[in-house]
Amino acid sequence: MRDLVVATVRDILAAHEPFVLTRERPWDSGLWAELAEAGLTGVGIPEEAGGSGGELADAVAIVATLAAGAAAVPVAEQLLVAAPAVLAADLDLPAPDEPLSAAVDGAVTAEPRDDGDGPGSWTLIGTATDVAWAGVAQHLVVLAGSPVGPVLALVDVAGRETTHAANLAGEPRGSLVLQGVTAAGALLTERQADELRARYALARAVQLSAALEQVLAWTVQYAGERQQFGRPLGKFQAVQMQLAEMAGEVTAVAALVDSAVQAIERGDSPVLAAAAAKVRAGSAVEVVARLAHQVHGAIGFTQEHRLHHLTRRCWSWRDEAGTETAWARVLGAGLLADGPDALWPALTRVL
Amino acid sequence: MPSTLTLAPVVPSAAAEQVRAEVREFLAAELAAGTFTTHVDTWLSGVDPAFSRKLGERGWLGMTWPRRYGGHERTAMERYAVTEELLAAGAPVAAHWIADRQSGPNLLRYGTEAQRAEILPRIAAGECYFVIGMSEPDSGSDLASIRTRATRNGDGDWVVNGAKVWTSNAHTSHYAITLVRTSPADPAHRHAGLSQLLVDLSLPGITVNPIRILDGGHHFNEVVFDDVVVPGDMLLGEEGNGWHQVTAELAFERSGPERFLSTYPLIAEFARRVADSGDPAQLATLGRVSARLLALRQLSLRIAGALDRGELPDIPAALVKDVGTTFEADVIDEVRRAVDVPASLDSPDPLGRALAEAQLHAPGYTLRGGTNEILRGIVARGLGLR
Repeated sequence: MRDLVVATVRDILAAHEPFVLTRERPWDSGLWAELAEAGLTGVGIPEEAGGSGGELADAVAIVATLAAGAAAVPVAEQLLVAAPAVLAADLDLPAPDEPLSAAVDGAVTAEPRDDGDGPGSWTLIGTATDVAWAGVAQHLVVLAGSPVGPVLALVDVAGRETTHAANLAGEPRGSLVLQGVTAAGALLTERQADELRARYALARAVQLSAALEQVLAWTVQYAGERQQFGRPLGKFQAVQMQLAEMAGEVTAVAALVDSAVQAIERGDSPVLAAAAAKVRAGSAVEVVARLAHQVHGAIGFTQEHRLHHLTRRCWSWRDEAGTETAWARVLGAGLLADGPDALWPALTRVL
Repeated sequence: MPSTLTLAPVVPSAAAEQVRAEVREFLAAELAAGTFTTHVDTWLSGVDPAFSRKLGERGWLGMTWPRRYGGHERTAMERYAVTEELLAAGAPVAAHWIADRQSGPNLLRYGTEAQRAEILPRIAAGECYFVIGMSEPDSGSDLASIRTRATRNGDGDWVVNGAKVWTSNAHTSHYAITLVRTSPADPAHRHAGLSQLLVDLSLPGITVNPIRILDGGHHFNEVVFDDVVVPGDMLLGEEGNGWHQVTAELAFERSGPERFLSTYPLIAEFARRVADSGDPAQLATLGRVSARLLALRQLSLRIAGALDRGELPDIPAALVKDVGTTFEADVIDEVRRAVDVPASLDSPDPLGRALAEAQLHAPGYTLRGGTNEILRGIVARGLGLR
């Protein structure tokens, strides 16, 4: 099934060239409609919940393929983060063709409503910031703090006003005022909240891994085509060294991210594996994007060339869903949980 | 990603985890008994024949080899777990390391029945040690340019003349698998005319001269061959097939966890500092370094998995060694920037001593087993660029 799903996504992507995101055109709604029509925005979601079925790995494959294609749609947020969280919390999942995003940075608080709506009803207070696809998503999963513990709230945000902000690639990252909004929600344990944040980080790591791999492929291809001094760039040893260095980074990231996804599929706790994957993928961006642009020369530094669609995303994704530094601290602290003399056993347990 | 660079993911087997636990218990007991102390880069510098014999007694050498040669018919994944635990503990494994890692497998692939029966059980017992006889004073990375010659005499024996350098632990080892030119160099076929000889280092005409490394330690040597008569039956593999054999041997040489764990004892010492301070910036440094290490583990485990499938993943091994040895050296600066500890071998602070050991050994990480420039050339080939 996975190969078929990926082939279908590729076919759909082929008809949608990446475009420069602007305030007026903040996402590729046409692409989303086609993906939704094909059932691809519901993969990994059980059919009885309104989805298309399939496993986490199928959803990961879709997200990776779309990331490599610089697709401007909220599929990573929906398939890998928000929808699984809603299902795990036993809330009603919106239809998969209505974009669903997530805000997990904890800037919002939730108060239980005691007006007869039942314990699953909450009043949200505050502003969700840096919301991926703010203004595009129709529904938002909000990880809020409350006096009784973390709350996962599901908010209908269609038409709700958002501030304009974008990441380096132009993807919407605005804020949503949720002051006094009533939402269905469920209490989570601290561990579940940590795991949700980790899944978001892993989703970005999956996107980074796929995008970095594509950047390498484009750069190798360009080095084979571009002639200078009478031969292809790729025949110069200095350029070969750069491409090999990129390949080392990309291969290391891919191995760690794949293994982290598989660990979560096996049911292992995702937090340290996701932290490691996010940190490692993020740290590869500097090398891979720098060398890709160096090899591409001036043309890669323009909006005319496709390279920026991925390098600008990578420069942002490494900071999103928790910065590299934040996740590095989580990983460092997690590895020392049993004391420094148990560091090595802890490392061999992460993956 | 080109398929030449990537390998299928693997999950450690229950057997691997079992032997990992056994090795861990053994090492904890040895450390507690004070039979060794942890150091950086001990797989080349920590020679301790008694320790090697203990590993042999426990069945942790020659693990993947057939039982009839003293081996234990275990998987590469199990061997991976054992080697990784030994490296993480900074245990003194240098005496047997080359023999167990590459000389034994080379003998299994190319050796005669007599050579295998004679030597492999002794390696597996932790009693017989090997050195790599590849580089020469005038041939570093350009192995095809070696000049050590072997010619047949009237008795059918080989007469060897020349010199090998950077032969780690030749002064404590028994054999050198020596790459020699058995036919005159042919500029049109640079890789032709090379052969491997199994040379007993106690033979007359061999001189081992120490070469000190930066910290004053002695594992490097120059080995000079002056009309050394090597019995004719000590040819390893086929005459003229040396280049191919060396290439296969390098896949074993380049693929193991020693290519990213040489400075792990420094990380372990740093972790003690971080746990004491709880400093957020130090925690982040530990996390960053750990994420790189975890990625390298996954790559290296995949190579072990490929070896279990009977593959010889030379291109992925070159890639792992490039990324891994770069990491080993980067660890030093990551730790340096996170602490206020001057590096000194005489430091009262164990972290200062670990920094000093790691730094003084650092230039070697990205040279030994093929420079990173050579490795990147191999990776570039994997990318289809050459």
